[in-house]
Amino acid sequence: MHISDGVLPLAVTIGGYAISAGIAAWSARRIHSRDLPKIAVVTSAFFVASLVHIPFGPTSAHLLLPGLAGALLGPAAFVSIGLGLLLQCVLFQFGGITALGANAVMMGVPAVICGWFFQQVRGRARMPQAVAGGLAGALGTFLAAVFLAGLLAAGGEDFFGVAKLALAAHVPVIVIEGVVSGFTIGFLARVKPALLQSSFRDAAGLVHD
Amino acid sequence: MTRMQKGLAIGLLCLFLAGLSNPLWAQAPPENSTGEVIALLKEQNSALSADLRRIQREIAALRADLDQPGVKDVFAGIGYIFGLFGAAAFAASRRRE
Repeated sequence: MHISDGVLPLAVTIGGYAISAGIAAWSARRIHSRDLPKIAVVTSAFFVASLVHIPFGPTSAHLLLPGLAGALLGPAAFVSIGLGLLLQCVLFQFGGITALGANAVMMGVPAVICGWFFQQVRGRARMPQAVAGGLAGALGTFLAAVFLAGLLAAGGEDFFGVAKLALAAHVPVIVIEGVVSGFTIGFLARVKPALLQSSFRDAAGLVHD
Repeated sequence: MTRMQKGLAIGLLCLFLAGLSNPLWAQAPPENSTGEVIALLKEQNSALSADLRRIQREIAALRADLDQPGVKDVFAGIGYIFGLFGAAAFAASRRRE
Protein backbone atom coordinates (compact mmCIF):
# COMPACT_ATOMS: atom_id res chain seq x y z
CA MET A 1 0.00 0.00 0.00
CA HIS A 2 2.10 2.87 -1.30
CA ILE A 3 0.93 5.93 -3.18
CA SER A 4 3.02 6.43 -6.31
CA ASP A 5 4.37 9.58 -7.89
CA GLY A 6 1.89 11.70 -9.78
CA VAL A 7 -1.27 10.20 -8.29
CA LEU A 8 -1.99 12.98 -5.84
CA PRO A 9 -2.48 16.61 -6.85
CA LEU A 10 0.10 19.18 -5.80
CA ALA A 11 -1.92 20.58 -2.89
CA VAL A 12 -2.33 17.16 -1.27
CA THR A 13 1.36 16.39 -1.82
CA ILE A 14 2.49 19.58 -0.10
CA GLY A 15 -0.11 19.15 2.61
CA GLY A 16 1.12 15.62 3.25
CA TYR A 17 4.70 16.85 3.60
CA ALA A 18 3.63 19.65 5.95
CA ILE A 19 1.55 17.38 8.18
CA SER A 20 4.19 14.68 8.31
CA ALA A 21 6.92 17.22 9.10
CA GLY A 22 4.85 18.48 12.03
CA ILE A 23 4.10 15.01 13.38
CA ALA A 24 7.70 13.91 12.84
CA ALA A 25 8.92 16.86 14.93
CA TRP A 26 6.45 15.96 17.70
CA SER A 27 7.48 12.31 17.44
CA ALA A 28 11.22 13.04 17.48
CA ARG A 29 10.84 15.06 20.68
CA ARG A 30 9.34 12.00 22.37
CA ILE A 31 12.34 9.80 21.58
CA HIS A 32 14.33 8.76 24.60
CA SER A 33 17.99 8.15 23.88
CA ARG A 34 17.88 4.78 25.63
CA ASP A 35 15.18 3.70 23.16
CA LEU A 36 17.30 4.35 20.07
CA PRO A 37 18.44 0.71 19.58
CA LYS A 38 14.87 -0.55 19.90
CA ILE A 39 13.66 2.03 17.38
CA ALA A 40 16.44 1.05 14.99
CA VAL A 41 15.51 -2.63 15.17
CA VAL A 42 11.79 -1.97 14.68
CA THR A 43 12.58 0.38 11.80
CA SER A 44 14.62 -2.23 10.01
CA ALA A 45 11.92 -4.84 10.61
CA PHE A 46 9.35 -2.47 9.12
CA PHE A 47 11.69 -1.74 6.21
CA VAL A 48 12.17 -5.40 5.37
CA ALA A 49 8.59 -6.51 6.07
CA SER A 50 7.36 -4.91 2.86
CA LEU A 51 9.33 -7.53 0.90
CA VAL A 52 7.30 -10.40 2.40
CA HIS A 53 4.75 -10.92 -0.32
CA ILE A 54 1.57 -12.86 0.31
CA PRO A 55 0.18 -14.30 -2.93
CA PHE A 56 -3.53 -13.57 -3.07
CA GLY A 57 -5.46 -14.52 -6.17
CA PRO A 58 -4.17 -12.71 -9.24
CA THR A 59 -2.38 -10.08 -7.21
CA SER A 60 -0.21 -10.14 -4.11
CA ALA A 61 -0.08 -7.96 -1.06
CA HIS A 62 2.80 -7.45 1.32
CA LEU A 63 3.10 -7.05 5.06
CA LEU A 64 3.01 -3.49 6.35
CA LEU A 65 3.45 -3.75 10.15
CA PRO A 66 2.39 -0.23 11.16
CA GLY A 67 0.40 -1.64 14.08
CA LEU A 68 3.32 -3.64 15.46
CA ALA A 69 5.68 -0.67 15.08
CA GLY A 70 3.19 1.55 16.89
CA ALA A 71 2.63 -0.93 19.69
CA LEU A 72 6.37 -1.30 20.26
CA LEU A 73 7.45 2.30 19.81
CA GLY A 74 4.52 4.53 20.74
CA PRO A 75 4.95 8.09 19.50
CA ALA A 76 8.41 7.33 18.10
CA ALA A 77 6.77 5.05 15.53
CA PHE A 78 6.16 8.00 13.23
CA VAL A 79 9.87 8.80 12.86
CA SER A 80 10.61 5.11 12.46
CA ILE A 81 8.02 4.62 9.73
CA GLY A 82 8.99 7.82 7.96
CA LEU A 83 12.61 6.70 7.78
CA GLY A 84 11.59 3.20 6.69
CA LEU A 85 9.40 4.63 3.92
CA LEU A 86 12.15 6.98 2.76
CA LEU A 87 14.60 4.10 2.40
CA GLN A 88 12.00 1.87 0.74
CA CYS A 89 11.30 4.66 -1.70
CA VAL A 90 14.97 5.26 -2.50
CA LEU A 91 16.17 1.65 -2.58
CA PHE A 92 13.10 -0.36 -3.63
CA GLN A 93 11.21 2.25 -5.71
CA PHE A 94 8.11 1.64 -3.55
CA GLY A 95 5.99 4.76 -3.65
CA GLY A 96 7.45 7.98 -4.96
CA ILE A 97 9.66 10.65 -3.46
CA THR A 98 7.01 13.31 -4.05
CA ALA A 99 4.33 11.17 -2.39
CA LEU A 100 6.56 10.44 0.60
CA GLY A 101 4.81 12.93 2.88
CA ALA A 102 1.40 11.48 2.09
CA ASN A 103 2.73 7.94 2.50
CA ALA A 104 4.21 8.83 5.90
CA VAL A 105 0.88 10.25 7.04
CA MET A 106 -0.95 7.21 5.69
CA MET A 107 1.26 4.71 7.53
CA GLY A 108 2.59 6.71 10.48
CA VAL A 109 -0.60 8.16 11.92
CA PRO A 110 -2.29 4.72 12.14
CA ALA A 111 0.88 3.44 13.82
CA VAL A 112 0.73 6.11 16.52
CA ILE A 113 -3.01 5.53 16.99
CA CYS A 114 -2.35 1.79 17.33
CA GLY A 115 0.38 2.45 19.87
CA TRP A 116 -1.98 4.56 21.95
CA PHE A 117 -4.72 1.92 21.58
CA PHE A 118 -2.31 -0.84 22.64
CA GLN A 119 -1.22 1.05 25.74
CA GLN A 120 -4.85 1.66 26.70
CA VAL A 121 -6.09 -1.86 26.14
CA ARG A 122 -3.24 -4.11 27.24
CA GLY A 123 -3.29 -5.55 30.72
CA ARG A 124 -0.52 -7.00 32.80
CA ALA A 125 -0.89 -10.64 31.89
CA ARG A 126 0.60 -12.20 28.80
CA MET A 127 -2.53 -13.32 26.97
CA PRO A 128 -4.37 -9.98 27.09
CA GLN A 129 -1.21 -8.31 25.83
CA ALA A 130 -0.95 -10.73 22.92
CA VAL A 131 -4.60 -10.20 22.03
CA ALA A 132 -4.23 -6.44 22.29
CA GLY A 133 -1.14 -6.64 20.08
CA GLY A 134 -3.03 -8.66 17.49
CA LEU A 135 -5.89 -6.18 17.52
CA ALA A 136 -3.42 -3.31 17.17
CA GLY A 137 -1.75 -5.04 14.21
CA ALA A 138 -5.07 -5.57 12.44
CA LEU A 139 -6.23 -2.06 13.29
CA GLY A 140 -3.03 -0.55 11.87
CA THR A 141 -3.53 -2.00 8.40
CA PHE A 142 -7.25 -1.24 8.48
CA LEU A 143 -6.58 2.40 9.38
CA ALA A 144 -3.86 2.63 6.74
CA ALA A 145 -6.38 1.54 4.09
CA VAL A 146 -8.89 4.11 5.39
CA PHE A 147 -6.22 6.84 5.32
CA LEU A 148 -5.29 5.81 1.78
CA ALA A 149 -8.91 6.26 0.75
CA GLY A 150 -9.01 9.61 2.55
CA LEU A 151 -5.88 10.87 0.79
CA LEU A 152 -7.12 9.76 -2.61
CA ALA A 153 -10.50 11.33 -1.84
CA ALA A 154 -8.65 14.60 -1.13
CA GLY A 155 -7.25 14.19 -4.64
CA GLY A 156 -10.74 13.97 -6.10
CA GLU A 157 -11.48 10.24 -6.03
CA ASP A 158 -14.63 8.69 -4.61
CA PHE A 159 -13.91 7.97 -0.93
CA PHE A 160 -16.14 4.93 -0.44
CA GLY A 161 -15.18 3.34 -3.75
CA VAL A 162 -11.45 3.53 -2.99
CA ALA A 163 -11.97 2.51 0.64
CA LYS A 164 -13.93 -0.57 -0.39
CA LEU A 165 -11.29 -1.53 -2.95
CA ALA A 166 -8.36 -0.98 -0.59
CA LEU A 167 -10.02 -2.85 2.26
CA ALA A 168 -11.02 -5.76 0.02
CA ALA A 169 -7.45 -6.03 -1.27
CA HIS A 170 -6.04 -5.97 2.26
CA VAL A 171 -8.39 -8.32 4.11
CA PRO A 172 -5.84 -11.17 4.08
CA VAL A 173 -3.07 -8.76 5.06
CA ILE A 174 -5.16 -7.47 7.97
CA VAL A 175 -5.70 -11.02 9.23
CA ILE A 176 -2.06 -12.04 8.80
CA GLU A 177 -0.78 -8.83 10.39
CA GLY A 178 -3.04 -9.41 13.35
CA VAL A 179 -1.69 -12.93 13.82
CA VAL A 180 1.95 -11.89 13.33
CA SER A 181 1.64 -8.90 15.68
CA GLY A 182 -0.20 -10.96 18.29
CA PHE A 183 2.47 -13.66 18.33
CA THR A 184 5.29 -11.11 18.37
CA ILE A 185 3.79 -9.14 21.24
CA GLY A 186 2.98 -12.32 23.15
CA PHE A 187 6.55 -13.51 22.74
CA LEU A 188 7.98 -10.17 23.83
CA ALA A 189 5.63 -10.06 26.82
CA ARG A 190 7.07 -13.38 27.95
CA VAL A 191 10.71 -12.72 27.13
CA LYS A 192 11.24 -9.01 27.64
CA PRO A 193 8.16 -7.13 28.91
CA ALA A 194 10.17 -3.93 29.27
CA LEU A 195 10.18 -3.58 25.48
CA LEU A 196 6.44 -3.02 25.49
CA GLN A 197 6.60 0.16 27.57
CA SER A 198 6.33 3.07 25.18
CA SER A 199 6.56 6.66 26.22
CA PHE A 200 3.03 8.00 25.83
CA ARG A 201 2.89 8.77 29.53
CA ASP A 202 6.27 10.41 30.29
CA ALA A 203 6.08 13.35 27.94
CA ALA A 204 9.38 14.70 29.24
CA GLY A 205 11.36 11.90 27.60
CA LEU A 206 13.57 14.08 25.46
CA VAL A 207 16.67 12.93 23.62
CA HIS A 208 19.06 14.75 25.97
CA ASP A 209 17.83 13.08 29.10
CA MET B 1 39.84 5.41 -84.14
CA THR B 2 37.71 4.48 -87.06
CA ARG B 3 34.02 4.05 -86.97
CA MET B 4 34.41 0.31 -87.51
CA GLN B 5 36.69 -0.06 -84.50
CA LYS B 6 34.20 1.86 -82.36
CA GLY B 7 31.37 -0.40 -83.49
CA LEU B 8 33.49 -3.46 -82.75
CA ALA B 9 34.34 -2.22 -79.29
CA ILE B 10 30.68 -1.53 -78.49
CA GLY B 11 29.73 -4.94 -79.83
CA LEU B 12 32.39 -6.62 -77.66
CA LEU B 13 31.21 -4.68 -74.62
CA CYS B 14 27.64 -5.77 -75.27
CA LEU B 15 28.73 -9.38 -75.59
CA PHE B 16 30.75 -9.13 -72.37
CA LEU B 17 27.83 -7.65 -70.47
CA ALA B 18 25.52 -10.32 -71.85
CA GLY B 19 27.98 -12.99 -70.73
CA LEU B 20 28.22 -11.43 -67.31
CA SER B 21 24.52 -11.26 -66.72
CA ASN B 22 23.70 -14.62 -68.20
CA PRO B 23 24.41 -16.61 -64.97
CA LEU B 24 22.10 -14.25 -63.02
CA TRP B 25 19.26 -15.12 -65.35
CA ALA B 26 20.09 -18.77 -64.91
CA GLN B 27 19.82 -18.45 -61.13
CA ALA B 28 16.46 -16.72 -61.18
CA PRO B 29 13.69 -19.10 -60.05
CA PRO B 30 11.47 -20.60 -62.71
CA GLU B 31 8.08 -19.02 -63.07
CA ASN B 32 6.09 -21.96 -61.72
CA SER B 33 7.80 -22.05 -58.23
CA THR B 34 6.70 -18.56 -57.11
CA GLY B 35 3.92 -19.98 -54.96
CA GLU B 36 6.34 -22.33 -53.23
CA VAL B 37 8.73 -19.49 -52.49
CA ILE B 38 5.95 -17.37 -51.02
CA ALA B 39 4.81 -20.26 -48.84
CA LEU B 40 8.40 -20.80 -47.63
CA LEU B 41 8.80 -17.10 -46.82
CA LYS B 42 5.51 -17.05 -44.94
CA GLU B 43 6.56 -20.06 -42.90
CA GLN B 44 9.90 -18.46 -42.01
CA ASN B 45 8.13 -15.22 -41.16
CA SER B 46 5.70 -16.87 -38.74
CA ALA B 47 8.52 -18.84 -37.09
CA LEU B 48 10.51 -15.64 -36.65
CA SER B 49 7.60 -13.70 -35.21
CA ALA B 50 6.90 -16.53 -32.74
CA ASP B 51 10.54 -16.38 -31.65
CA LEU B 52 10.30 -12.61 -31.32
CA ARG B 53 7.20 -12.87 -29.14
CA ARG B 54 8.96 -15.37 -26.89
CA ILE B 55 11.98 -13.08 -26.56
CA GLN B 56 9.77 -10.09 -25.80
CA ARG B 57 8.07 -12.08 -23.04
CA GLU B 58 11.45 -13.01 -21.63
CA ILE B 59 12.57 -9.38 -21.69
CA ALA B 60 9.42 -8.34 -19.84
CA ALA B 61 9.99 -11.05 -17.23
CA LEU B 62 13.62 -9.96 -16.83
CA ARG B 63 12.56 -6.37 -16.42
CA ALA B 64 10.07 -7.38 -13.72
CA ASP B 65 12.83 -9.33 -11.99
CA LEU B 66 15.15 -6.35 -12.17
CA ASP B 67 12.51 -4.14 -10.56
CA GLN B 68 12.41 -6.44 -7.55
CA PRO B 69 14.76 -5.23 -4.86
CA GLY B 70 17.66 -7.57 -4.32
CA VAL B 71 19.56 -8.69 -1.25
CA LYS B 72 22.00 -5.83 -1.75
CA ASP B 73 19.23 -3.24 -1.40
CA VAL B 74 17.88 -4.89 1.74
CA PHE B 75 21.22 -4.88 3.50
CA ALA B 76 21.96 -1.37 2.28
CA GLY B 77 18.73 -0.18 3.88
CA ILE B 78 19.36 -1.99 7.16
CA GLY B 79 22.86 -0.53 7.22
CA TYR B 80 21.48 2.96 6.66
CA ILE B 81 18.97 2.53 9.49
CA PHE B 82 21.50 1.27 12.01
CA GLY B 83 24.02 3.86 10.91
CA LEU B 84 21.57 6.74 11.29
CA PHE B 85 20.38 5.56 14.69
CA GLY B 86 23.96 4.98 15.74
CA ALA B 87 24.78 8.56 14.78
CA ALA B 88 21.72 9.75 16.72
CA ALA B 89 22.78 7.74 19.78
CA PHE B 90 26.29 9.16 19.50
CA ALA B 91 24.94 12.72 19.34
CA ALA B 92 22.65 12.06 22.31
CA SER B 93 25.50 10.64 24.37
CA ARG B 94 27.74 13.60 23.51
CA ARG B 95 25.05 16.03 24.58
CA ARG B 96 24.54 14.29 27.89
CA GLU B 97 28.17 14.70 28.94
